Parts: sequence; C-alpha cells; structure tokens
Amino acid sequence: MEEKVGLGRDTDFSRRSLLRTSALIGAGIGAAQLLGAPPALAVGGTANASLDKAIKDIVKGRTIKVGFTPPVLSENFTQIESAAWRKMAEFEKRFGVKWVWERQAPVGDFNAVQGTLGIVQSWISRRFDAIAVCTGANFATVQDLYKTANSKGLKVFQFNQPAELYPESELATVSNIGYDNRWQSGYLAGTYLAKALGGKGKIIQIWGPSGSDWTRGRRIGFDKALAENPGIKVVGEADGGYVRDKGFTAAQDLLTKYPDVNAIYGENEEMALGASQAIDAAGLKHWDGKTGILTIGADGLISGFKKIAEGKLTATVDIGGIDQGQNLIETIFATVALGQTVTQIINNPTQVVDKSNYKWHQAYAQWALDTPRKYGK
Amino acid sequence: MTINIAGRNSSKYLQNRILQDPSFGIFVLLVLAIIVMTFLEPSFATGRNVTNVINAMMTVSFLAIGMTVVLIAGGLDLSVGSTMAVTAGVAGKFIIYGMPMSVAFLCALTIGVGIGCINGLLITKLGIPDFIATLAMLGIGQGVILLWTQGVPILGYMSGAYYYIGGLNKIAGPISIPMIVVVVISVVMTIILKRSKFGLQLYAVGSSPISARNAGVNVDAIKISAYAISGLLAAIAGIHIAGRTTTIPPLIGNGYEISAIAAAVIGGASLLGGKGRMIGALIGALTLTLTRNIINLVGIKSSWQAILTGSVLIGAVLANRASSEFSRKRFRRGKT
Amino acid sequence: MKNQSKFSKMIAIDGVVILAAFVLMVIFFSLKADSFLIPDSIRYYINEAVPIFIIIVGLTFVIIAGGIDLSIGAVLGLSAGTSLTVSMWGWPFWMAVIVGVLTGLAFGLLNAVFTTIFKINDFIVTLGTLNIAAGALTVLTDQIQLTGTKDTSFKRISGMNFLGLTSSIWIALIIVVVFELVLLKSPFGRRIFATGIGQVPALISGINTQRSKFGAYLISGGLAGLGGVLLASHLNSVQSGLAGGYELTAIAGAVLGGVSLAGGRGSVWRAIVGALFLTTLNQGLLLMGVDPLIFQIVTGLCILVGVVIDRAVYKFALTFSTQTRESNSQFLRGKRFSL
Repeated sequence: MEEKVGLGRDTDFSRRSLLRTSALIGAGIGAAQLLGAPPALAVGGTANASLDKAIKDIVKGRTIKVGFTPPVLSENFTQIESAAWRKMAEFEKRFGVKWVWERQAPVGDFNAVQGTLGIVQSWISRRFDAIAVCTGANFATVQDLYKTANSKGLKVFQFNQPAELYPESELATVSNIGYDNRWQSGYLAGTYLAKALGGKGKIIQIWGPSGSDWTRGRRIGFDKALAENPGIKVVGEADGGYVRDKGFTAAQDLLTKYPDVNAIYGENEEMALGASQAIDAAGLKHWDGKTGILTIGADGLISGFKKIAEGKLTATVDIGGIDQGQNLIETIFATVALGQTVTQIINNPTQVVDKSNYKWHQAYAQWALDTPRKYGK
Repeated sequence: MTINIAGRNSSKYLQNRILQDPSFGIFVLLVLAIIVMTFLEPSFATGRNVTNVINAMMTVSFLAIGMTVVLIAGGLDLSVGSTMAVTAGVAGKFIIYGMPMSVAFLCALTIGVGIGCINGLLITKLGIPDFIATLAMLGIGQGVILLWTQGVPILGYMSGAYYYIGGLNKIAGPISIPMIVVVVISVVMTIILKRSKFGLQLYAVGSSPISARNAGVNVDAIKISAYAISGLLAAIAGIHIAGRTTTIPPLIGNGYEISAIAAAVIGGASLLGGKGRMIGALIGALTLTLTRNIINLVGIKSSWQAILTGSVLIGAVLANRASSEFSRKRFRRGKT
Repeated sequence: MKNQSKFSKMIAIDGVVILAAFVLMVIFFSLKADSFLIPDSIRYYINEAVPIFIIIVGLTFVIIAGGIDLSIGAVLGLSAGTSLTVSMWGWPFWMAVIVGVLTGLAFGLLNAVFTTIFKINDFIVTLGTLNIAAGALTVLTDQIQLTGTKDTSFKRISGMNFLGLTSSIWIALIIVVVFELVLLKSPFGRRIFATGIGQVPALISGINTQRSKFGAYLISGGLAGLGGVLLASHLNSVQSGLAGGYELTAIAGAVLGGVSLAGGRGSVWRAIVGALFLTTLNQGLLLMGVDPLIFQIVTGLCILVGVVIDRAVYKFALTFSTQTRESNSQFLRGKRFSL
C-alpha cells in the first residue's frame, strides 16, 4: 500500500493555488458553470483583481504558440483538448495572454509513432513556445527529440503519458501532466472489482496492444490488486487493440469459453464498452450489484458515462482528462509566461466512477466539451 | 474432352472434380481444424460459438464478395476498408442529422457505388494501375472521414431497428439479418456470375481483356461495374458494421482491405483475374474468422495472431495448389 | 516537326516530369512555409526518410522484374528489432549489422522461394510474409523491451557526420548509385528488365526469368534488412508496428517516379525522386501547419494526377519518338535489352 501514497507526492499544489486563486478545484468550476452560475465565477470571479493585473503586466499581451499532439484522435483526447481550451479562454481573459493552438495527430493507430516524431520536429523548426505530447513512441527515442527541442529553447510537456515507468532523471521534459497508470488506474480497477465481487470470482481481461506503456503500467497495478485478493482468478485474456470492435469480438470469444465469469476488465473504456456489448449479444446479464457480469474500463468518456447510466457498464476509472487538459495549460502558462519552475511529474486526481457518482464526472466532461472551438481549426 | 465425357459417370471423374475444386485444399484444412478444435476445446462446437463466428465473419464476407467480383474482372480494390468507413459514417451521421434510416442507408449505398465508379473510371479511362488508383482512393476516403469527424467516434445513431441490422438482435433463434443478407447476396451473385451474360463477360475480361475486346465485350464498362459492385458491398459492410459496433471510430475500416483480399484469395480467386467464386469468398472469410476465434479460445498469446494469419494465408494457397496438382497428376496417370 | 521531336526528346528523358514537379513543389513550399529551407529541418526529414529510400531500391528491382513486395516495411521493422536485440545483448556492432541484414535476407529468400519455386502470386506471398514479419516483431517486443543499446558504435552506424550529412544518408546514396549501375549496366540488370517485359521474349532470348526474379527478391529483402539496421541505430529503440505502411509509401513513390507496376520499365533514381516527392510533400504540409488529416487526401490526389501525367507524357513521347530512332532509344532507356 506504500506506493499508493505516492500519488499525492508530486501533485503540485503551490502553483495551482496561485493561478486558481478562487481556490476552486477544476471540478468546482465545471459544476458551477453547469448550474448556470455567472461567467465571472467560472473564470475566477473571486480572484484578486490586483493579482490578475500584476500578472497581466508581466505577460504584456504576448502570444504563446502551443503544439498539441495526441497519439490518435479519439474521444478521450478530444475531452482533454477541450478542457485545455477552457483554461486558455480563461487565462486570455484574466491575464491577456494570446494563444496559438495547433493540434496535429498522426494518422493511424497507436503505432503510428513516426508521424509523431515528424510533427514534433516540424514544430521545433517552426520555433513553437511549447509542445505537448502524448505518444506511443518509445521512451528513449522521444527523449532524444525533446533534448533537441530543449537546445533550441522550446519547452516540451507530456500529457497522459506513463512517465512513472521511467527514471525521472531521464525525462527531458519540463513536466508530465498525467496520472500514475499503476496506482491511479490499474490498481483502482482491480480493487474495485475485487471488492464488488466480495473477493472471490473469475475474471476476463482485455488489454491494449501488447508492449504499450499504458498497458504495462496498468497491468502492474492490476496485478498488485490481484495479489492482494487471491480469491480473484483471471481465467482468460485477449488483445483488444484499444478499439471497440476488437474488444467486442475478443470478449465474445472468451465469454463463449467462460460464460460463468463474474467480471470483465477492459484496459480502456472502448474495449470495456465492447465487452459490455458482448454480454448483451451473448444474452448474459449485466452486473446489478449482486449478480451478473461486472464490467470496468478506464478513461472517463461521455459515452462511457451514458452506458453507466443505462446500467450496461458497471464502472470506469476516470483518469482525470479534464484536469489534465486544464493543468497542462496552467503549467505551460506558469513556465513559459511567468518563468516558474514546476515538478517533473504532476499527477491529477483519478477516481472509480460508477452509478453512485457518475453524474458530476459526466457534467464536468460535458462542460469541457461545450467549449466554443476558438483555438482549434 | 473425350476423356471427360467418357468418364463423366465414373467415380474417378467425380474425385478429380472435387480435388480440382479451387478451394478444396483449404476446405480440408478447415474441416481438420474444426475436428481437432472440437476435441481440444469443449466450448468450440457449441451453438453459441458457432453463431459468434458466423456473426463475426459477416463484415469480411461482404467485402470479400465484392473483392472477388473485382478480382474475377482482373482488378484489385484496396479502397474497400476506407469506403466501408466512409459509408458507415454517412449512415450514422445522416441518421443523427434526422434523416429516416432508409434514406440514410440509400445515401450510404449510393456513395459506395459512386466511389466504386470513380475507381473504375480512374482505372479504365485514365489508365491508372488499379493498385495505385485504389490506394489513392483509400487515402482520400480515410482523410475525408477523419476530417468530417475530426477523429471523434460517431455516436448516438443506434435505434432498435439498427440493433437487428448489426446482428446484435436476432430475428429468429440464432438467425440474424446480416446472415440472411449474405446468403441472398451470394446466391444472387452466383447466379449472375454463372448464368448471366454479364457474368460470362466478367470472367472473359479477367481472363483475357484483349480477346474479350476482340469478341465485342465493352471491357471498360464491365470493369467499372465490377468496381461499382465492390463499392456497393463495401457500403453494405459499412452499414452493417456501424450496427455491430454501435459506434463508428473513423479508422474502423483500417486493414479490412487486406482481410478482404486474403479471404477472396484463400477462397480460390486469383490476382491474375478470371477466377473466383462466391462460396470461395465465404470460405475465405470463415477461415480468417476461425483463425482468430481459435486463437482466443485456445488462449494463444495475442501477439502471435499476425504470424498465424500470415501463415494461414500462404498455407491455404499452398493447400489449394497442392490438391489441384495432385489431381492433375492422377488425371494424367489415369489417361496413360 | 523538328521542334516537336526536340521537345519530345526532352520530356522523354527519364523522370524529367516528376523532377520538374518536384522542383515546382520545393519552390512553392519555400515561399509558403518559412522554415522549409532551414538546413536543419531538411537534414532531419531526409534522414528520417532514409529507410524508405533504401527499401525503394530493392522494390524497384522487384517491380521491374514483374513482381511486387509488400513485405518490405514489416521486414525492415523486424530487422531493426533483431539487430537492436543483439546489440543490447552486447554483441559488437558489426554482428548487429549482419544479424539485421540476414533477417532481411531470410524474408527475401522466403518470398523468392514461394513466388518462383512454388509459383504463388507475389502479392499473396508478400502479404503473408508481411503479416509474419510484423507478427514476429510484436512477439519480439513482447518479450524484450527494445529501449536502446549502450553500445555507442551501434548508434554511430547512422549518426556519424561527413561533410554535413549523416552516415545513413551517405549509405543510402551509395546504395542508390551502386544499384542503379547494376540495374542499367550489368547483364543481371538487363535480365531483370527482360523478365518484367514478358516471360516469352525472355525465354526466347534464353533468360532464366525465375532466377532473375529470385535475385530481385533477395536484393529487396537484404536492403530492407539494412534499412532496418539504420533505423534501429537512428532511433535506438524499436517497438511493435515499426515501419508499418512504409511499403505503401515506397510503392506509391516508385509508381509516381514512373516505375511501371506491369514490370519492365523504370529506374532506381526515378523511384527515388518519386519517394522524395512524397516525403517532401509531407514535410512541406507539416511546416505549413496543415492538419495531417488533410495530408492523405492531398497525397492521394497528387499520386493520381502524377500517374496520369506520367502516362500521358509516356504516350506522347512514344508517338513522337517513333520518328527518330535516337529519341526512341532514349525514352526506352529503361526498357533496353538485347533479345
């Protein structure tokens, strides 16, 4: 359990409290906005006007050029990007900073890493101020590229990246805004599942593409949960490639072999949703709190929350995508515009979301998605 | 010729007929695999698994049928996966925009046929090699659907009826709508290929475009129709897969062109043209789907999947070749 | 009439059209994208494209011989994996090079045996070996994390600098020149052309078509292996799916450069110009900040237009060049062989 404590270790509260002088955590802003609160509140209305003015004087209306590259285009990364836009709009209003935002994603699957390298290199050539990367590319390879960027005076940030799997000293980034895949995702899902099943049962796991860092991280966490709950037996596992139809067919095949399983773990939400469909297709029963097949994923997508509401997905780990997007912008602003120093690892809160608490997570994600697409193309 | 007629009733003729069947080799392998699996894995030969496999092979079946038609005409269509994604997107988005399902489907089918016609025109009228024309179309289609959706999966088009079209809800017992559609299309296409003038012309164009042209066949028109049929079937596959996955990620069609070509070729179609059958396409689709099903059931590590698929592809073609070589040798021996 | 024939002579020179299109594009991008002509960025993207330049050489041999090799991308990825693996085990760099090249050669041999001895269609065989190579890399990366070797000499294979260019660019240049000479000047090269133009004329002239095709696949496999070594040395890490899809870029580039998929026509440097066109297009669009989602559409259209123009010019040149023997032989340079 010692490791679990680690999640708070790096959370960078001091920087946060400066920029969020209204002492609102992200969730509060979201909820307030949705309740129809006046925009002033949403943009930190209780913030100290003289503080805003002081920062404005330093910023001097400068433009910050940000390149944002997710590994693929998907609902998850759209949510993170929208959340970033929220924060950009807020800071533009409060501090007079102007943003140039360019989102470029390599076309293909998580393996289209050469594309990411080309995109980052082009931003280096074009002298962007900040580059935000999430990629399936190999750790060592991208660090070399980041070093090139650093030598040209660019600041590189990673988001949603399993940086925790590598020695912090080898990171060439300014900061990693993410979460710990081991203890804030895989472990949470495993313990939730074990607790719901009463510590006893047979489960199926559907993993992402073999060898990906996210899969490695989450597996470490899930395995720990399994070690703590010896009554839970993994009877089958398959590769769902992070996509729904593969998760569906994999779950369907495994459910044929083990129709008596108690739970299915989808390493990401798309695959968990595919598994949920396979349960329907096989005419089996969804988890109702006591019996049926429990399904749990990880991401925190709007489409997942909808399925939780319908009772077709038992739970998911919200990996804090909205907080990641906002914190990414805060970190970029703090380092690029104000010249502050931040910690290398900034982990955001995550939580298992089920029927009991999905509503505020859903509202929070929806709040981010409702951003006008001002900074996109 | 005389030998054939003389031996028509003899069992030897029948044996040769079966052995020379272009997909006999893979058929034997399939039967063997099924027998072994039945003993090895109790859940394999269950009704549920059989329906799973049949439902899972529907998408590839549609594409493989279309691909077989193109291959018969001596062409190649790499754009089917991306056409499938585009038409799935059209069906889904148009339903969300408020169109009735039938209208949305009609639009999707029209666009599928349209893409097929463009492929055909590029190849016949502009003389672009089929590999390149359809490869470019693959990229263009993928770009269009990505731009349109901005990479975000399409959600919220599912309705009660769509669950039936996706085969998630069955109409009677294990029978689903896609199964009926596949059967109907293969029967109709078989009749067209074997009995109609168009079918004959298709084989003629694929076997030898020059002799077909000399015989007065409008080669270009036949080729364009073949690509249009492939586009139509890609659209049907698109409408179907949108229902099966209940969400349309823009890259949903990635790699399906390869599965379709592999299925058609395993089923006896030739990339040199002039060969191919509907039943072959279905056998090919079944082979690919069973491979994956067996991998999952036996619990082989999923990282081995690609190696096995590649080996099955080459093995199937070798097996088909071996059975026909074997029969030819027997035939020769019988003659002397 | 004289003017026309001069004009036809000019455009009939190998690859002049695609070269002109390439130059126009470079001018366009240097005006539109401000950082396009920065030496650093040019060096970077050319360096990144080296593996494609290397596999396109072998691919050109295979296509001219009337075949096609879809496996090169996956084989390149696998060779990168095997060479980095042995380097991480502590083997000397030259052993890593040998292992990588041998991996490629093994797949080249597999392709050659199945296509020429078992006579299975080239497309199907290489599609099968594509899957096998890609799968083997997945299995390999599943076993070992290929996150880099400590051996600096392995990294230096691609990273040394001569006269401002990296060693991998120099290696690619040497390969292009050597293999272009082999293709156009050696008896083996002539046999490759003869094989692609048609089995019958080749048979009449006593050429063993199967043997030359066999050779073409071995070259393709071996070069894919070498490309893999360079990529592994450059990235110093390998992961599943590496170089997937490179074969399509290479094929499109070769065709754009006027290598005919029907066999018997083309040359290495034309294929290289085709590949350079596609990679430069990609780089220019990136630097202009165009959404990569549009890239594929633009690339697709460029390929279509390029091939149409290439064909039109070819036909045009054919019509006019029949008037003079001289220009005939010029534009048919690729096709020249003795029956």
